[in-house]
Amino acid sequence: MIDAIQAFAVIFILGVTIFVARLLAPYITRVYSRVPSRLDKLLNPVEKFIYKICGIDPNHSMGWKQYFLAGLLLNVAQMVIAFLILVFQGKLPLNPMGFPGLNWDLALNTVISFATNTNLQHYNGEATLSILSQMTAIQFLQWTSAATGICMGIAFVRGFIVDSKNMGNFHVDFVRTITRILLPLCLIASLVFVVMGVPQTLSASTTLTTLQGTTQTILTGPVASLDSIMQLGTNGGGFYGANAAYPFMNPSPYSNIFMISLMLLLPTALIFVFGELLGKKREARPLLWGAYIIFGIALALAFIPNIPLVAQGIETRFGGFMSNFYTVTTTAATTGSVNTALSAMHPLTITSGFLGMFIQSIPGGKGIGLMYMVMYIIITVFIVGLMSGRTPEYLGIKITGRDVKLVMVAFLIHPIIILIPTIIAYASGAAAAIGVGGTSVGYTQILYEFTTSAANNGSDFLGASGNTPFFNIATAIVMFIGRYASIAILLALAGSMIGRKSGGTTGLKTESPVFTIVLVASIIILVVLAFFPFLALGPISSFFRGLMNGF
Amino acid sequence: MTTENKEKYNFKPILGLAIVSLLICGLFFPLIVTGIAQVFFPYQANGEIVQFNGKPIGSNLIAQTFTMPIFFHPRNDSASGVDPDITLQDAYSQIPAISNATGIPVDSLTSIVNQNQEGTWWIFGSPYVNVLKINIGLIKQYSTVYSEFSIS
Repeated sequence: MIDAIQAFAVIFILGVTIFVARLLAPYITRVYSRVPSRLDKLLNPVEKFIYKICGIDPNHSMGWKQYFLAGLLLNVAQMVIAFLILVFQGKLPLNPMGFPGLNWDLALNTVISFATNTNLQHYNGEATLSILSQMTAIQFLQWTSAATGICMGIAFVRGFIVDSKNMGNFHVDFVRTITRILLPLCLIASLVFVVMGVPQTLSASTTLTTLQGTTQTILTGPVASLDSIMQLGTNGGGFYGANAAYPFMNPSPYSNIFMISLMLLLPTALIFVFGELLGKKREARPLLWGAYIIFGIALALAFIPNIPLVAQGIETRFGGFMSNFYTVTTTAATTGSVNTALSAMHPLTITSGFLGMFIQSIPGGKGIGLMYMVMYIIITVFIVGLMSGRTPEYLGIKITGRDVKLVMVAFLIHPIIILIPTIIAYASGAAAAIGVGGTSVGYTQILYEFTTSAANNGSDFLGASGNTPFFNIATAIVMFIGRYASIAILLALAGSMIGRKSGGTTGLKTESPVFTIVLVASIIILVVLAFFPFLALGPISSFFRGLMNGF
Repeated sequence: MTTENKEKYNFKPILGLAIVSLLICGLFFPLIVTGIAQVFFPYQANGEIVQFNGKPIGSNLIAQTFTMPIFFHPRNDSASGVDPDITLQDAYSQIPAISNATGIPVDSLTSIVNQNQEGTWWIFGSPYVNVLKINIGLIKQYSTVYSEFSIS
């Protein structure tokens, strides 16, 4: 349990984050509405130059298929570039430690992982990647996957705007996301991290003699520039294998709080942007409160057990309480960075983590979390419509049978791509091959591996021990489907909304508190129905076993 | 202003945009941050390397091995494996052994621990002690006891 001061600390941190997100939202909205801004003087020439050399026509507009294809193809091109850099890093510059190129299966897993915003890592960065790879493969894809996710979320919202005729232009959205949103935010955040003690250098190591006369190698690199995008972009991939538990990534309790706040910032801001782009600010309410109420439930669940001040696997400077808070937040925002050894976490905290990854919208990854929440709203509107015998409507649009079918496919992909590979991992002996048994603890690790891949989250138990051809390829497939299939279906849904607005307001009042409560209830019921059997075999079983043995 | 183009997707911008994004996100940004960090915050940007007697002897943020009984010892487990800090309780529990080995009174060691605690601000964080900082503090304060370390 936590005390009143700790509860206040949680509410304070979340409150400040939501407040800053609210302040940021009008600016983000103007970026995508292409409203003139003071930054135009500086950035217009830069953007025009990029459009010119890339052959982009900024006035060209795209339907949902074109928009999706533009994003997918760009991401694939970026994956190819990063793949070549990882495989040939041994022959490329900025490799002071002389690391050899990566095996093709690990390189494939890594580029898909980072391009899909998952950041599952089957390697330890400090012992595997050159400085060049850290910058031009890892950080590069962290930026582009974040930008792609935001663009997809914005395009999705455009489908629901009353007089919209298209989804916008992906190329223009992508460029402006980088120049106007990510560059300024990441620059500020990176410098704050440097001041807090995060290294930023092109030197990979310093070797010195310690007080007691032993030789120690201090591993450094461009860490602060990664810290900012890994959190703001809800990426989660670390410079070091220990991720945000490593002191150079997360040097103090304050950098830890800053990270919690950063990973929630853009997903929360985009909820407000949803309301602003629609011109119906109140419609952001069920998304915001729905997300934060369930996030609160997940936090409460993780805070039930006795939280040790410090225990094995927990860093002293964070302590047990902030480590738990971080672990739940990182799965709620599907960031996937970790500041502890996950195996040190209580089964209830792990269950909370699963909850965040199953739902994917409390508040979820930037852009994608928003899409999933609207998906849940449509399901809820449909269910309420069935119960009250009215035609279901959302934002003045009639919800048809086709819409509900698309939504159900998007929802059901998730359990399918988690459960099937989990079964294959056991049936094929791939789990046993890396020493993971069929106990509740072992099963939790494998289930978590595929859940984190499907939800494009990225934290995991396996780490470098997952570097086998089976887990590299299986998780790569799951990450790819989990990202692009869901986006394609939800964009198709939004695309089909264009041109069929009734404008009627006879439907359900979705901005009311009552609707939020119904929404929360239906999300929980849906997720419990779909996923409870999986959890019962894993962390819940571990929990009761622990209870019997007196935790 | 804009018209929907029903034509097939134009593949031309893909390669250009992939390369431009590589240059901006993978090179320009980390190099700009490196430049600013190295000019304005060189101590943090290079890993908080501690100089002692004119030589680099470790980093404030990365644990180093202390096995001699005259020093505070870091944890030998933790998530990162290089946790540079110990809790106050841990530090207090090590005091009797250090006092035995050095002859420094328990009260003096307790007050050194208290002076070295950090990690709390307003309602956030629980206090801890950085092992390297407190050991250097001991060497500086008791140069005769730690003579083999203070003379270089």
